[in-house]
Amino acid sequence: MRPTLVVGNGPALFLSGTDPVRLLGPFPLDSDPKQAATRFESMGRSDVPTRLLSALESLPAGASLVASPPRLARAISECVGRPVGTPTLEDLRRGRRAVPLPEAAVERRFFLALGHLRLERALRAPEEVLITLAREEERVERSVGREARAADSFVSVPDSPLDLHLAAWDRARGALGDLEEALRRTVEKEAKTQVPNLSALVGPRVAARLVAAAGGVGALARMPASRIQLLGSRRRPSPDRGPRFGVIYRADRLVDVPIGRRGAYARTLAALAAIAVRVDVHGHRDISAELVARRDRRVEALRRRRR
Amino acid sequence: MRTGRNFRPVAGSPRLLEVARAERRELWTEAVGDLPPVYGERWTDLEDRRYRIFEPARSKLAAAVVRGWTGDLPAPGERWLYLGAASGTTASHIADLVGPEGRVYAVERSVRPFARLLSLSERWPNLRPVLGDARDPLAYAALVPPAAGVYADIAQADQLEIVLRNAELLLRGDGARVLVALKTASMGRHRSATGHRESAEATLANEVALYPSVTLEPFHRGHFMLGGRWGRASKVPARDPSRPTTPLGRRPGRRAR
Repeated sequence: MRPTLVVGNGPALFLSGTDPVRLLGPFPLDSDPKQAATRFESMGRSDVPTRLLSALESLPAGASLVASPPRLARAISECVGRPVGTPTLEDLRRGRRAVPLPEAAVERRFFLALGHLRLERALRAPEEVLITLAREEERVERSVGREARAADSFVSVPDSPLDLHLAAWDRARGALGDLEEALRRTVEKEAKTQVPNLSALVGPRVAARLVAAAGGVGALARMPASRIQLLGSRRRPSPDRGPRFGVIYRADRLVDVPIGRRGAYARTLAALAAIAVRVDVHGHRDISAELVARRDRRVEALRRRRR
Repeated sequence: MRTGRNFRPVAGSPRLLEVARAERRELWTEAVGDLPPVYGERWTDLEDRRYRIFEPARSKLAAAVVRGWTGDLPAPGERWLYLGAASGTTASHIADLVGPEGRVYAVERSVRPFARLLSLSERWPNLRPVLGDARDPLAYAALVPPAAGVYADIAQADQLEIVLRNAELLLRGDGARVLVALKTASMGRHRSATGHRESAEATLANEVALYPSVTLEPFHRGHFMLGGRWGRASKVPARDPSRPTTPLGRRPGRRAR
């Protein structure tokens, strides 16, 4: 006997019975698209429609019950107090084919509401906040530098429209500088909480930029040290003349290393950074003191070493 | 306003027009949504209909058509699943091709491109955005009805497995279409671009009756368009020798300086 299948289709839930597929009717989760999207996302015990439950009660006692997606199966299982499995591919395909299409306008409103809900949730995640802010900080830093260089080469004369422009420009640059300062503080705070070991090793700003360049903390933790070393570099890796630095060039203590040995330092630092971020993601221990000590030992060794 | 004398529909695709210009073919799709342009593309009016230029350099599907794709394209009224929609450049054109009665279910995993896809969907009535990972089709199987085709543009090493997993679950059945914009650069250095294409064709041939593949050079380096009709298939069809499918210019395997 083929199992009874509960399958979702957009904003509605359907119940397809045994052979041939019986359609017990659409069960709109909610008429309000935003609410429907919220319930679709959480799909907990309280989100299973009562009409679906009463339909399930009329099923023969021995009928096996499957549902898709898996979250829905868990929710129904909690409600009816017996196991609800996941369908085989063949059952799922059959059930999906039997289900009627939602009305276009209803479906559209539901998708847009669900899209907004998921987007908002994703953007609120601390990791995404760190990535976004790190990119913004980098951009604002560039424009501060550009404006400063332009202001340096700007020639003005007192008591002239040029002078008025310069004064207004100075105010604008001051505001931009304040923005950069505030942004930097926020980024550093976020980085210190999310990747504490990495922040201690390379500095919170560079740590944030590494995360942003990798596309996430988890992605960074999966990277080999050799890729971390080159994250954010503009030149193309090539066998003969590749880049040695990416955003790691701005890391703490790199300036203390003699110029000819900075490539060697970048390799060491990238290797330590790989360890640091993996501990930040998986270990959640504080190993910053050890990392910093190893880093500083390396700096001293490179300073002493003759060419 | 153009006179329209040079515009004619591409065979089998009433919503796709082509114009033969001096040295190139220009493609236009009939817009489903309203101005402003989606990504800065040109628009034109033609007998009360609005068309958007479909640039091969911007879209791999357009490049495939220009390079002589003979397989079926998305047709009016169909539901298509689009994997890897990014901010919706090609997805908007596929939505144009399926027209107001069709649907495009566009799956994208990255947050920032999805934000743009979502705001595009607000004004592109037949586009349905899904923030989700194409590796896990069960997660959105409840959202996407059985589809007439799947179009995939995902630069991942296992892109074919991802496509096939989606296809067997979400396509409506035999005869449905699979189109894959294959990015060989994402598939590793152990094979040449042509080698990747051939092994991908062999994998696909287990499940679909293949269309002849085309290279997307010079518009998209190292890319191919592969596809076919779903259903345990015959063998790979003979290639048309007048249409080269190997990349032009570059020898596979050698690195660019």
